[in-house]
Amino acid sequence: MYNSLTRIQNVFGFFTSVAFVVAAIIAASDLIAPRTPSGMIEPTSVQVVKGRPHYYSTKKEEYAIIKFSLEADLSSLFTWNTKQVFVYVTAEWPSLGADGAVTQNNSAVIWDNIITSPSADHLSNMPPVALRRLIESTAGRVIDPGRGKFQLFNHKPKYQITHPSGHIAESSDVKLRLHYNVQPWVGALTWDQQGVDLGLWKRLSDGVSEAFALPPVKRKDDAKTSSSKAKTKTKSKAT
Amino acid sequence: MAEQLLDQVRDVVDGQIDFEGQKLAEILATALLSIAGAISFLVGYSLQDIALALKIGLGGTALTFLLVVPPWPFFNRNPVQWLPVGGGPAVTSTQQNLVIDEKLLARQ
Amino acid sequence: MLSSLQNPRQAAAQLLNFALILSTAFMMWKGLSVIADSPSPIVVVLSGSMEPAFQRGDLLFLWNRNLLAETSVGEVVVYNVRGKDIPIVHRVVRKFGEGDAARLLTKGDNNAADDTELYARGQDYLARRDIIGSVVGYVPFVGYVTIMLSEHPWLKTVMLGIMGLLVVLQRE
Repeated sequence: MYNSLTRIQNVFGFFTSVAFVVAAIIAASDLIAPRTPSGMIEPTSVQVVKGRPHYYSTKKEEYAIIKFSLEADLSSLFTWNTKQVFVYVTAEWPSLGADGAVTQNNSAVIWDNIITSPSADHLSNMPPVALRRLIESTAGRVIDPGRGKFQLFNHKPKYQITHPSGHIAESSDVKLRLHYNVQPWVGALTWDQQGVDLGLWKRLSDGVSEAFALPPVKRKDDAKTSSSKAKTKTKSKAT
Repeated sequence: MAEQLLDQVRDVVDGQIDFEGQKLAEILATALLSIAGAISFLVGYSLQDIALALKIGLGGTALTFLLVVPPWPFFNRNPVQWLPVGGGPAVTSTQQNLVIDEKLLARQ
Repeated sequence: MLSSLQNPRQAAAQLLNFALILSTAFMMWKGLSVIADSPSPIVVVLSGSMEPAFQRGDLLFLWNRNLLAETSVGEVVVYNVRGKDIPIVHRVVRKFGEGDAARLLTKGDNNAADDTELYARGQDYLARRDIIGSVVGYVPFVGYVTIMLSEHPWLKTVMLGIMGLLVVLQRE
């Protein structure tokens, strides 16, 4: 501490220690914030089409368009250390061998959405007008009780699902499942607990649809209209 | 001339402080940073505002730097009283007397 | 600084001290690497394709062991495209099959399309072995220094200049 340089070094060194400890305590404070998420999800219409699922697809393959309804309350996931919650809906289905036994399990995201916390609104990637409206909607509050509560009715999927084999029609035992991923400002990333309660963090209540089967491939003339419909981007208002 | 100027710049950059000042600087740095960290967490947690916590933490740190790094006068209030430089030719023998014998020291 | 050259014992002690710091850092890095089973257990985000979750310069901690569950859809993984040595941080959006035979498709949260076009020629899916870790921990901004230094090389010159100036201006 005898000259300025050693004082700068010492102060900076101790600052990093303090910053590390405070960051660790902030990260640990997540554990005492209760989480009580809930969600109801069900498919509303299911289609299987043969064609190119994306503009960059090279081959024609069967793809499924699953419309769904979702009602979720993830507001308890938003604490001071939450940067964003990534909400996503997966379709899960088994592949069956010739003998009817399950050969592999498949899962694919059909819809996702980023819900930023008010503290991270300025970072979110959306058109300027929508962004301004989002920031104004919180009216300067740091915690917005409405964040994470949303309803979708007969909503178009963002992604059509495919299978590497090219065949997906008439798959049975398909389930839709709601998931979330909490992204903190500092600390550990956390996901929905798969059916287990961890201390104050309760499991996602419900969040799975009944099992359903995919229909056979639609005839070609039908396919044209529905695939062009599916290509129009779905902008979800789910904040 | 240039050497003198360089010496002055060195003085400013070096910013030496006395031993009591060093002790004070150490205590100040530790206390201020710890307090800033504690306040930033407590305020941030109670208001659920992480941006505010960051601002308090960084503000407190800036304040600490400002208070501890420059050689403020209150770090130099107890300068070390060096023994005067002996000048005479018979320095070596008398100096030993000086160190051992307190009376001789008082005479100076 | 120059005084140490006159005293070989002091010079040797300084050299050893420097070597100790370097080897400690290296040991911690490799130790973490062994614990996480990942060649690079801490990475700095270099692109904005996962915004707003990860900004450029954020630090990510990776975990590459499947102790409780397999790497599955929704996880954010770091993978290397075959033949290229550029780690990419994206989210797994599709998974077909299990274990070593699993085929995984990834996508950046901020990208409109999935990663099919980023993969190597003829590669449609990732395998588990392409992945060098799943993101488990996050610290914002701390890695930005490395981005600054690599993108603005003149900063290195400035830093060297400041160091040189300090050597000149310091007494002893």
